[in-house]
Amino acid sequence: MSRCWLALVEGPVEGADASARASTLDGQEVGTLAAWRQQAKPVRNALRVDERMIDSEGPPARISLVLAPPGVRLPFDDLAVQHARRLVLSRPQFDAVSTLLRDDSHFEGAITVERSPADKQRLREDPFARIFPGRLLALDAGILGSLGASTGPTIERYGSGNPWPWDRFSCSASRGAR
Amino acid sequence: MPERGATMPERGATMREGPLGGDAMIGARTRLVPDGRGADTVGVLAVGGQLPDFELLDHAGNRRQLSQLVGGDPTVVQFYRGWWCPKEQTFFRRLLALQDDAEVAYSRILSVSVDTPEVNAAFRAGLGARWTFLSDPDREVQTQLRLRETTDTLHDPYVPAIVVIDPELRIHTAYNGYWYWGRPAHEELVIDLRELSRALRPDWEAPTP
Repeated sequence: MSRCWLALVEGPVEGADASARASTLDGQEVGTLAAWRQQAKPVRNALRVDERMIDSEGPPARISLVLAPPGVRLPFDDLAVQHARRLVLSRPQFDAVSTLLRDDSHFEGAITVERSPADKQRLREDPFARIFPGRLLALDAGILGSLGASTGPTIERYGSGNPWPWDRFSCSASRGAR
Repeated sequence: MPERGATMPERGATMREGPLGGDAMIGARTRLVPDGRGADTVGVLAVGGQLPDFELLDHAGNRRQLSQLVGGDPTVVQFYRGWWCPKEQTFFRRLLALQDDAEVAYSRILSVSVDTPEVNAAFRAGLGARWTFLSDPDREVQTQLRLRETTDTLHDPYVPAIVVIDPELRIHTAYNGYWYWGRPAHEELVIDLRELSRALRPDWEAPTP
């Protein structure tokens, strides 16, 4: 998996591979959600995301964006984070889900995408929003696609540097796995 | 009795002629699974064979391709009669126990039946299963794999069978679950997944100083 970064940016966005205007569900603009496929971190608050969900031709969507408060981090192996992943697998699937991370060992948020008419309530039940505060946002077209649900039941990451649910080792070796 | 209205399976039913021919299958057993574990033949499923890369609807109604679902991991593929069968309900508890291992072991589980996605979604949720259920209500894959249970003309279900496959969809072990005791024990599935993982993972031998 190549590196892919995601960030909610208030000002102008430069060099992004995909971006879309983000607003609250009652229409108040909050910035631009942008994604970059590159090795280096593009902006200070960018976090790594499962690149399969990024689609510059993706239709509008509603998202639950869960972000750790400034200065707060939680080990990815924390029981609460483990259980949130189990809940994602056990419940009816969303259009796309990815955890967000900066380094190899900490959970720093998640993004969950839905487009069905009855999605608002489901997004409010985002399991990751039990761990850190979540915001429900509406996105314009141009950044998020759909990502087939994980086969299950794997909750581990395929290499500690990759976000969950990216589901295979990137080369022949299973480095970093046990 | 193995099934409502069922007749006794023929003696030696696991030796039925398959696509490889009976002798070839026996040879494969001897060659690939020397201890005889998981060396059954069910329909066209036999050790050394390969599952076709079929497409079916998952429990959410999305079309899914087998190879994509398997990815790069060893996978347990369970063909089962349906939610209504007490033997399946019991065997699912064994798979639920395996789920607790598989979720941290880079291994996958798939369950296939003729039930609709809606039924599968409800059954899966009731079980607490966190793997993918596939629906074959038109029985296309069932026909292709010769897995129709002919003794149940009410449901025309899959004959119960469990295979453990590698990412190339090759069958490592096959279990005929027509009689309940033909199904793999938890420990047998663990051994199968260990054997496949050892073969698949180039860094199986732990890196040490």
